[in-house]
Amino acid sequence: MVSNDQASDVATYAASVRAALSDLPADQAEALLEDLEDHLREIAAEPGGPLSERLGPPDQYAQELRAAYGAVQANRRRQDPFLHDLRRARAWVTGSGWYREVRSFLPGLRPAWWVLRGYLVVLILTAAFSPGYGLGPIPDLGTKHGLAEIFATGVAIWLSVRIGRRRRPLPQPARVLAISANVLIAFVVVMVLGNMHSFAYSEIIGTASPEQPTFASAFAAGQVTNIYPFSQDGKPLSNVLLYDQDGRPITVQQSEAQTTYPVGADGKAITNAYPLTQRHSNGDPVVAPRVAFPPWPTPSPSPSATASTTPSPSPTR
Amino acid sequence: MNQAELDTTQLLKGVLDLAVLAVLAEADSYGYDVVRRLRENGLDHVGDASVYGTLRRLYQAGALNSYVVPSEEGPHRKYYGLNNRGRKALDQSAQNWASFSKALNHLLNGRSNGHGK
Repeated sequence: MVSNDQASDVATYAASVRAALSDLPADQAEALLEDLEDHLREIAAEPGGPLSERLGPPDQYAQELRAAYGAVQANRRRQDPFLHDLRRARAWVTGSGWYREVRSFLPGLRPAWWVLRGYLVVLILTAAFSPGYGLGPIPDLGTKHGLAEIFATGVAIWLSVRIGRRRRPLPQPARVLAISANVLIAFVVVMVLGNMHSFAYSEIIGTASPEQPTFASAFAAGQVTNIYPFSQDGKPLSNVLLYDQDGRPITVQQSEAQTTYPVGADGKAITNAYPLTQRHSNGDPVVAPRVAFPPWPTPSPSPSATASTTPSPSPTR
Repeated sequence: MNQAELDTTQLLKGVLDLAVLAVLAEADSYGYDVVRRLRENGLDHVGDASVYGTLRRLYQAGALNSYVVPSEEGPHRKYYGLNNRGRKALDQSAQNWASFSKALNHLLNGRSNGHGK
């Protein structure tokens, strides 16, 4: 029985021999080497040391093969050294153990790709034909559009698997076309996925509060859960109403703290009056952070234009 | 490799085709077995790569047929056997060899006789 060690010894040795003969025309090399591995395995199965001990260095073995086979050496001189290196490298890669492992593993993934590409095609088409639609990895079941997307995905997967399972091999030109199509799907999807991050983000926020944009800017330090406004002279302000550029109230992310909103005359909670009154989950009130105020330039004679609610001619800290 | 081995290797090169054909004429065989049988018959210095390369060349030249025999332990074996063309080639080469070796023996005997007297 051939052990794993022997198998890798055979693979390495055979790859080196192939590399040394990489200048042969492909058909000649194939005719000469097609069962080199089987032959080497036969030798490896006999008791004895590694192949390079028994057969000599692979390069020498290759030269002996070349001589015995009477292979042409003419195009060796003509060959571009770079091309020669490239072929050697290719022979080394295709002869290596991990390459063969990946090659033998990939066909098993084919059905998975059939399913995936069906899903991806619909994703690409959705992205291409409905620019405003909040594209997510999973279609939104709540909308007509999302249901249509799911239905289309099912049909696409069914078709894709049918195409994948066909018995008849394609003729050469169609084959090239089919491979190109698969590669194209994989390529375009990378771009769509790149955009999806922003799509998905706005979508999640959008569903959380449709008419209120959440002030969700995630700074490096973490999410914003409260805002503490101060006047120019460093006095804490209370019940400051914040709105965005479209006039929508700005709210912050919910934190573990319990927020009590002031209730307006119409009975609705006012969610954008800052700072929010918050209590930690253990009941302690959330206290304002200690802040460092920016040094203002020399005070102007008329501070009326500032945001200060209690104007003072010379701000003191 | 000493001088004697080198000489033998050089000599073998010319007659390896004949030796391989002769081994296969006895019985169909696979690559490594051909090497082994050649060595058993006293051709100690026959190189594995030389035999493998020769087998492939003879096969490509249409002198051999080949078939794969599955083996339970170890790799499948590709057996080679002589076809009509191979048998003709063997007969032809054997004749050539016979006349060549006769001539050479004659020459060598004459030389050794001349010196031995």
